[in-house]
Parts: sequence; C-alpha cells; structure tokens
Amino acid sequence: MFEEEDVKVISQQECLSKLQELKVEINRSWSADDRVTSLRLSIKVARLLTETSVIQFYPTLFILATDIMDLLGDLVWNRIKRKAEFTEEGGYICSLPDNFKESDICFDAKETCNNWFSKIGSVRELLPRIYLELAILPCWRFLDNHHEDVLQRLVMMTRGIADPLASAYCRLYLVQCAQRLPEHDTGFLITCINDIKLLLLRLTPAREAVDRDLSGTSEVLLTLIEPTIEYIMRCLFKDLREMEINDMLLALGMGINPSILSENCSCVSIILHYVLKELPIGFICCNALEILHLVECAKDSSFLQSLNFKLLGHRLCERVPEVSKVLLVVDKIFQVLSCYDNLDAYLMVADAYLDIILESHLGTSLNVILDGIFERVRDEKIGENELVILQSIFSKIVDHFANIEHILALNHFVDILDMMRGSSRNVISTQILSMAARNSQIRDPTVIEVLLEIAQALYDGLDFSNMRKDDYQHPSHVIARFVYMVDHGTQLESHLRFLAQCRGAFSSISELQEILVHSSNNLAIRAMRDGNSCNFIKSCLAFNEVTIPAIPSNLRQLNLYLETAEVALLGGFISHTDGLIDAAVNCLPNVDPVNGTRSTEDLSLLVSLLCKLCCMLVMVPGSLEHGVTRIPKHILSLIDSQSWILPRMKIRVLSSVVYLSAALSQNQLPYHAVSGQVISNYQLYFDVPSYHQELLSLSGVILQGLVNVVMQESSVAVRGKMALEASNCIASSFVMSDEALEACSKLMEIAKSCLSTGDKFLHSTLKVLYLKK
Amino acid sequence: MVLVLALGDLHIPHRAPDLPAKFKSMLVPGKIQHVICTGNLCIKEVHDYLKTLCPDLHITRGEYDDDARYPDTKTLTIGQFKLGICHGHQVIPWGDLDSLAMLQRQLDVDILVTGHSHQFTAYKHEAGVVINPGSATGAFSSITYDVNPSFVLMDIDGLRVVVYVYELIDGEVKVDKIDFKKTTN
Amino acid sequence: MSIEIKLSRFNRIYRPDEILEGKLIARLTSAISYQSIRLTVNGAVNLQVRGGSAGVVESLYGVIKPIPIVKKVVDIRSSGKIGSGITEIPFSVILKDPKEENLEKFYETFHGGNISIQYLITVDVVRGYLHKSLSATTEFIVESEKDNLPQKPVAPETVIFYITQDTQKHALLPELKSGGFRVTGKICTQCSLVDPLVGELTVEKSAIPIQSIDIHLLRVESILIGDRISTESTLMQTTQIADGDVCRGLTLPIYIILPRLLTCPTIFAGPFSIEFKVSIVITFLSDQSKKHKKVADPKAPKSWVAMESVPLELVRTM
Repeated sequence: MFEEEDVKVISQQECLSKLQELKVEINRSWSADDRVTSLRLSIKVARLLTETSVIQFYPTLFILATDIMDLLGDLVWNRIKRKAEFTEEGGYICSLPDNFKESDICFDAKETCNNWFSKIGSVRELLPRIYLELAILPCWRFLDNHHEDVLQRLVMMTRGIADPLASAYCRLYLVQCAQRLPEHDTGFLITCINDIKLLLLRLTPAREAVDRDLSGTSEVLLTLIEPTIEYIMRCLFKDLREMEINDMLLALGMGINPSILSENCSCVSIILHYVLKELPIGFICCNALEILHLVECAKDSSFLQSLNFKLLGHRLCERVPEVSKVLLVVDKIFQVLSCYDNLDAYLMVADAYLDIILESHLGTSLNVILDGIFERVRDEKIGENELVILQSIFSKIVDHFANIEHILALNHFVDILDMMRGSSRNVISTQILSMAARNSQIRDPTVIEVLLEIAQALYDGLDFSNMRKDDYQHPSHVIARFVYMVDHGTQLESHLRFLAQCRGAFSSISELQEILVHSSNNLAIRAMRDGNSCNFIKSCLAFNEVTIPAIPSNLRQLNLYLETAEVALLGGFISHTDGLIDAAVNCLPNVDPVNGTRSTEDLSLLVSLLCKLCCMLVMVPGSLEHGVTRIPKHILSLIDSQSWILPRMKIRVLSSVVYLSAALSQNQLPYHAVSGQVISNYQLYFDVPSYHQELLSLSGVILQGLVNVVMQESSVAVRGKMALEASNCIASSFVMSDEALEACSKLMEIAKSCLSTGDKFLHSTLKVLYLKK
Repeated sequence: MVLVLALGDLHIPHRAPDLPAKFKSMLVPGKIQHVICTGNLCIKEVHDYLKTLCPDLHITRGEYDDDARYPDTKTLTIGQFKLGICHGHQVIPWGDLDSLAMLQRQLDVDILVTGHSHQFTAYKHEAGVVINPGSATGAFSSITYDVNPSFVLMDIDGLRVVVYVYELIDGEVKVDKIDFKKTTN
Repeated sequence: MSIEIKLSRFNRIYRPDEILEGKLIARLTSAISYQSIRLTVNGAVNLQVRGGSAGVVESLYGVIKPIPIVKKVVDIRSSGKIGSGITEIPFSVILKDPKEENLEKFYETFHGGNISIQYLITVDVVRGYLHKSLSATTEFIVESEKDNLPQKPVAPETVIFYITQDTQKHALLPELKSGGFRVTGKICTQCSLVDPLVGELTVEKSAIPIQSIDIHLLRVESILIGDRISTESTLMQTTQIADGDVCRGLTLPIYIILPRLLTCPTIFAGPFSIEFKVSIVITFLSDQSKKHKKVADPKAPKSWVAMESVPLELVRTM
C-alpha cells in the first residue's frame, strides 16, 4: 500500500520535470524555426491530460499543461500576426490595430493560419485536439470575423470526453480561453453548464437512492470538479444584465417563473450553489420565495441541500429590507427547519436566516427557533462546529435587542446558554453582560441574579494563569462593568450583600475588587446622606477593611485605604479612620516595583497621595497620648529609610509636612470634617502648650534638612525648582526668623545658580520673599 | 470668541453612574473649542465621551485615574491667556489660596483651573484667576458629601474672560456669570 | 554554382488559366556564358498497381504508362551571359493557352498511393557541349480554374445513418449482439475541399460501454487495366469524436478538416478514378478490445467494433 503511494509520488515528480523539459524544448525548437517539433511536443503535452488515474494530481497537471498550451498559442499568434504585418523579406505591410478585421489580413498570413488549424485538425485523439485548438483559439480572428459558433462547436466536441474529470477541466480551459477573446456571447457557457449538469447526474445518484451521500471516489471527484463549476459560473454572470437573468435561469433549467415552478425543475444542487453565489443580490431579494423553492427542488447528492439554504439565507441577509414576501419566506424556512432532525443543519439554516427572522418582527418566531434548538440540543452533545454556529445565533439575538429583560425572557435562552461551553460560551456571556451594562443601571433583582450567574460561569471559564492577557482582560472588564452598573436602589443592604457575593465570586479580577471598595464607600456615603444607621456604614467600612488587603498592588491599597479613611472621617468614625490611615502608611515601604522598576507615573502618584494624606491630617484629630505629629513623623521616618525615594519626591513630602504644621498652628483651620462627631485639633489641643511646641520642633527639624535634600538632587534644573518650592514653602509657613531667613537665602542661592536669570518662577519667588521681609 | 469647557471630578462610575442628564443635553458637540478636565474621570468611556464634545481635550491626573498618561499639571495658551490645569488633591492645604497662588506662579499662568474640593470657586488673585469648576456629577469629596453638580464654561475674548458656572440645584440648572479682565503690564 | 526556382506564390498553387510566374535565381562564383535558358512545364497522371486486386501478370508490370496532361518547352533567354554573384531572371508562362489543343484535362494535383497527378517546372541553363547544364526543378500545385467551379456554398448533401447490432455485416461479440446498441446521426456526403466535413452523432443506447468513436477518412483509387479495374482503398485520417463511454442522448459534433495534401476533387476519368469514403467506427469496451489495442490490419472488421461507411464526394468550390 505504502509502496504504491511512493511510486505514484515519484511518477508525479517525473511528470512535473518532464513537463518542464518539454516546455523548454518547445521554446527552443520554435526559436530554431523547427515549428513542426514544437507542435509535435505540444501534442505530447496535451496527450498527458488524458491521464486521470491519479485524480488528486490532475489540477496540478492541468495548470502546468495549459501553461504550455498558452505558450504555444502565443507563439502561433505572434507568428501569424507578424506575417500579417511584414513580408517574408521584412517589408512592412500594415500595423494591425487591436480590433483588426479578417479583411486586414493578407493571403499568406491566412494560409499560415489555415495550416495551423489543419495540422491540429489532423490529431487523432479528441482531447489533445480540443486543447490544441483552444490554445490557438484567438487565431480564428485572422480568418473570420464571426467565430461565435467555434466556441459552441468546441463545447459540443467536449461532450465526447467521457471521463468526468478530464471533461470538466477541458471545459474550464475552454472558458478560460474564451475569456481572452475580445468578445463572446454567453450561449456556449449555458451549454457548458448544462453538459456539466448531465455529467454530475451520472456521477451522483438521487439523494433518496443511497444511504450514504456519495462513494469516496465520487466525493473526491466532485471536490476536484467544483472549482471548474465555480469559475464557469462566475464568467457566465460577469457580463450578464439583470434583464437576462430570467432567461438564463430558464436555460439552465432553473426557471423561477411561477408557472414553471410547479413542474419538476431539473437543477443540480452544486450548480445551484454557484448560481446562488453569483446572482445579483437585488434579484435574489426580489425572488426570494421562488429561489427558496429551487433550493428545495434540488435533491441530488452533489451538494448538501442545507448548505444551499444557508448560502441563500446569508445572501438575503445582505439586504434584509429588500427581501420580498418576508412572511412567506420565514414561513418556508420554518417548514424546512422542522424537517431537520440533526442539530448541525438546524443551526446552520436557522443562523443563516436569523437576521430576516429578527427583522420580520414575528414575536413568536424566535421562540420557535429556540425551542427547536433546545429539543435537538437535549439529545446530543454539541460539537465544536455547532458551538460556533450557536455562538453566531446567540450573538445576533443579543445584538438585536436593546433590552436585557427581553432576551432573558426568550424561551430556553438561558438553558441553551448553559449547555454551551468553552470560548463560544465566554464570548456570548461577555456580549450579554456588556450589552446589559452598556447604557443604564441594572435594577431588576431577577435580572441581576441571572446575570450574576452568567458572569460567574464566564469567570469560571477564564483561566487566568494559562490564558493570554488579551483573552481574559476584556471579559474581566465586562464583569467589572456589570458589577458597578448593578444598582439596588434604596436597598443598600442588599447591595452590600451583592458586593460581598462578587468579592467571593470574582477574587482574581483585581480591577473588580477595587470597584467593590469604591462601591462600598459610595454606599456608605449614601447612607450618610440619608442620615442612616451607623451600623450599616460600619459594615461598609469593615467590608473594605477586609477587601483592600487582598488587592495585589500596594499603591492601589494605599489609595483605597485613604478613600475609605476619608469616608470614615466623613461619617465621624475616628477609630476606623486612624486604623485605615495607619494601614495606608504601612503600604508605603511595600509599594511594589513593576518588573524591577517603579514607573515615574507610579512614584508621582505615590507622592501626590502622601500630599493628600497630609491634607487629610488637617482634619484628623491627633491623640493626646501620642501627640498630633505621630503620623507625619512615621511618614518621614519611612521616607528616610527607603532608598528608592528620590530627593525630588522627598522635598515635596517634607514641604507638605511643613504646610500641615503651619495649617495646624493657625487658630482657624482651613477646613473641618463635616461630621459633628469629629473634634478638630484646634479644639482638642486648645491651650495645650506642648501642641505648638510639637509642631514647631517637627518643622524646625525639617527646615534644617531641606537644604541638604535639595543638594542631593543631581539634575541642575530640577534642583533649582526644588529650591524655589522649598523657599516658597518656608516663606508661606514660617514667620521670618533668622533661622528661616538663613535657610531661604541658602535655597535662593542654589536656585540662582541652577536656573537662568530670566526664570519667571525665580522672579516671582524673590518678589514674595521681599514682601515677607 | 473662544468657548472653553472646564470640568472635573466626575468619579464615574465609583461615585456616580453618569453625568446628570440635564448637563448631557446641554453639552453638544461642535460648540466648544477646548475642553479642560482637572481629573478623576475615572474610566476611559468618560474620556471618549469628552472627546466627542471636542477633540481638543486636556486632562490632568486625579488620584483615581488609571490612565498614567495624564500628567500632574498641564499648561496651554488660548488667545491672550495662559491656562494651567491641576487636579489639586496634592496641593496642601486643599483649596488654600496661597498654595494655589504658588502653583500659579510656578506654572506661570493667568488662569489656574483645579478641582478636588468639589465646590465651585472663582477668585481673582494677584495677576490671575483661580477657578475650581466643582464636580460635574456631584460626587462626594474628601471634605463633604453635600455636593451640587457643576461645571464651568469660559468665554475668552481678547483680554476678557467671562466665566459661566452651571450648577444643578434640586434638579434645576442655575447659571452664574463672573467677568475677569486681564491687566496688561 | 547553383540555380534555384522561386515561384511568385508562397503556396505554389496556380489555376490552369493563370500565368505561372516566378524567377530563376542564380548564385555563381564566376560569370558563365549560356546558349539558352529553357523552361519546361510537365504535367502527367502517373499510375501504378501494387498487388491488390490486379492479377499476377499485371503486378509484374507494375507501372502503367503515364497519361500526359501538359508538356511545354519555352526558351526564356537566347544566348547570353550571367555575371558572378546573385542574378535573378524573371519568367512567366501561360499554363493553358486557349489557342492550343490540350492533351488532357488539367486534373488537380494529387499524391495518392497508386495514382499521382503531378506538375513540374524545370529550368535549364544550356551551356554548350563542354559544360554541364545547370538545372532546377520544382513542383507547383494545380487547382481547378474558377470558371468551372460551382458557387459556394454547395447545397449540403447529408445522409442520415443509424448503426445497430442488426446493421452490421460482420460477426459481433455475443454480449454486443444481445445487449444491443443504437447510434444515429447524419453526415455530409458532398463536401467542399476548403470546408470541414461536418455532421453529428448521438449514442442513443448501448448496453456495453463505448471505448471510442472514430471517423475514418478513406481514399479509393481505381485504375483500369485492360478490362479489369484495380481498386485500393487507403485510410488517410482518423479523427476521434468520442473518448470513453459518453453520455447517452447527447449530440456530438463531427468536424473534420480535410487533409490538404491527401485530398483532391473526386475524379471519374476513363482510365482511373479517385473517390473518397467516410466510416463511422464505434469501438466497444470489452476484454477483447483491450487485448488487441494495436491491430495489424485496421480495415479488417472486428467483433467488438461496429461501423458504417458512406461515400464522400469532394468538390472544389470558389
């Protein structure tokens, strides 16, 4: 068995190299004026095409052999053309225009041309003779202005080739050659297709006659013949006017005239397939019902009927609004669908017509289809192919509706979705969730419940460790969006329970965990606005205290701790505030490098968050036990211990602490916590001398350190700016003591040495300092 | 005459699902020449929405903006005016005029637009103007949860800038107008 | 030192009432003198009998005396000189002078097996006794003069044929005889030489698969020897029109370009005749036909082959 295969491969190889040699030889003998040899070798090439025993090889053979035929055709054409334009001695006769006529050709040239046809005519075997005449087909123009009947004759001659493969490819070459003629009518193409039809009818018994569709060889044969049908059909339709289509269909035995409809139409399904492919979309839409009938009539086994139904459906869906008699078409499709027992065909056809069915606004029709799918899905496992179609169907349904409630109300929609799996299911789940959360908040508790289940199934289908980031990022984002679009209205407790549910269900989506924290904070604020119970607010705070530590990024933890601390402060829950601020500060040393480095953006966010924290501390009451500067001191010591904190960052934190001290030292704080529960530092430390002392000593220490930190900066321009920032900070925070003045003047020296004299910030700072003195 | 929309602190979706419908219906594409946004949008969809109002969009980063491409501060020149934008959570103490004045000097701008406090303010200060458009969604802030949604339209014409503030109070949009003139020296 | 004849027409075809023109091209290394330059036109029907139906005695004789058609000798130059190098000397001669009596009808040129009708033109440069004459001969082709030709198109004379197991004169394979077949069609029986031979054929039924259908073009040459006629038919060209077991009921075209050099108008002269015949040959696929792919005598009837022959009259048209 294997040996035999090998032999075939070798002989194919040999055949290929033989053809290559022949081509070279034909060219060579032609240029040596040995045209008899060229012709003899060309006949040899054409003869190879009678060999169809290795059918898979035939298309390759065809391409190589017809390439040589074309070569011969060109050589002969050029020779005769030259004879028509120049005498043998090289004298000029005329220059032939592209659209020359037979009368422009001199006698000698015609004689040469006749000789070629005569020589080729003397070839005994039919197939080589046809190929050779096709090769020099354009030369008919030298002899005759009207050569339309030549094509018709050649098509008829091809009928003499009984081998289905050889004859199909011979027709292909015929049509290819005809395409190169400046003009030709389409009559021969019709004959061509009708002859192929007879060939196919011989090849494929009626569908009812056999159990299996086709025997193996016939099936391979069909797949090899199919491209020739496709090509010929395309040529037939190329120059066709819409007016002629009816006539053409009639000539092909596919009349769509209602009076003929009732008769047995004689179309072959594979030919019909390519007709459907080529028919102008307008025509298809106008005659949708009639063409459906044609598809129904074609019952032979050359092509799956369901695939033709599918193709027609897809074509109709290109222009749904133009489809005539939509209701009847839909009716018919339901009839067809009801006959399919197997899921594959059912899905395929249903999918193809779904746009029409959806547009027809037949309320129940979609439910009928879903019922049909459900019935067929129940009995068998859904195959991969069917999953893909099912995905397409569901995708169209989801796209069609603007309202999630309508989708969920469809028969078995959720049941069938539950039976789907893998990426198809994920895609649809993602689509449903993003559609549901697209525009408006989701308030219906039952809808929320169903969607949560869908989201959970989607989440379970994502493999975070093994999938590419692109594959899970979008679904994750959609789930997150769904979660924040859910709104339980005034049922704040329900919403918090929902958040807790989500926290457990989607633990790997950090984006979503962050949203949960924001949502819970928002719930707490809503409760405050409503003047609601502090127990609920405490629950929200507690929820966040549990949620935040699980978030992987320490920077984000810090941010969320601060937000929650703000909320706690707004609600007057000082112990929570303190705890949350401590947790935030403790995140600082752990702010994680990404891929070994901390991005400038992350560092700049971190600094801004520390500044923000200082701003908050204006409102947060200190403790009598630990003093008011416990947290700023903690921050400063952490900053000092972290080598990755750059001087330019450090200077801003130091300045912020100075500003904070200055703000706290005033008799009137710039802002207060809204909650009456929170006592301000001003009130807390009223008349406590150590309070001011504490603030002064802290800022005094910083004041001494400022110059050093500025000097540590390596970039000159940045150093200058830092010096100015520090000077401004000192000028607006301190009473200008000698100490402060000294620091200021040192910093201004640095600034002057680093910045250009024209620097506007330098000038405005000098002005401020001058006013202060 | 150039119209500049200034807004910020939307906190969508964390603190509000969307802009108030009344604002949305007022903001139509094609009327505004520049949009400046102080930050805390927070999601990309809001960015895209602002882009539909006017392609010339300038944003600075609030602490809840994930998009790290937004800078901390930004300056641009419109007509005779130089504008500076900053979110403001990092300006200590929040909303303090002295601190903002220093930022204004540092950025060397005529008009400084900041946010974070979620309260509309507009001051003339030294040689310039300091504006806070408030929160466009009425989101709660670090200081208060009693916030009315607001935004600002600046009509810049020569040396004159008219600031219109739109505030949603009990479901009604109230408009106020403040006039500033730039003094040339 | 050579001379060569170049005729005015590339295809060398002339009609009897036309002037035969051409030139003599001499390529000489040195100048020569000549007495005359003489042109000879010679046309004749040559007959020979090879075996076949003629008797033993006649076959010994073989060649029968040719029938002359034309013999013409003209001096195109009287004595003179040709210089060295290439010299061209034009000539022209009337083939059929209406004032002259002709020996025989100008038949068209034909090269058959037993009959050959040939026209030659010879030029001799006669150089006196001491020098060998320079000479060149070439054949020209004669086609009938236009005046006598029927106007084209000829009324197509076709014959309808049908071939079944019952029309065969020879023995057929038993399965062929019992299974039966029927092939019908029509074919030209009178055909212009410049037109293809056309017709059509349909396999209506055949129980045994068909291997091939071919059209045989045959030539029938007859020569009168004494009171007997020696006839021989030769297969000139085979043209396949069906390869394999073709669809039943489909009309296949018959389209055969007549081989130019092997055909001429059908002639019935006294001493000889040239006729043509077409055979439709259907080869069926059987174990026997597979074995005998190459057969010694193609004309002998075989049991897996069915055939039908019809006479074909070829005519010259305008």
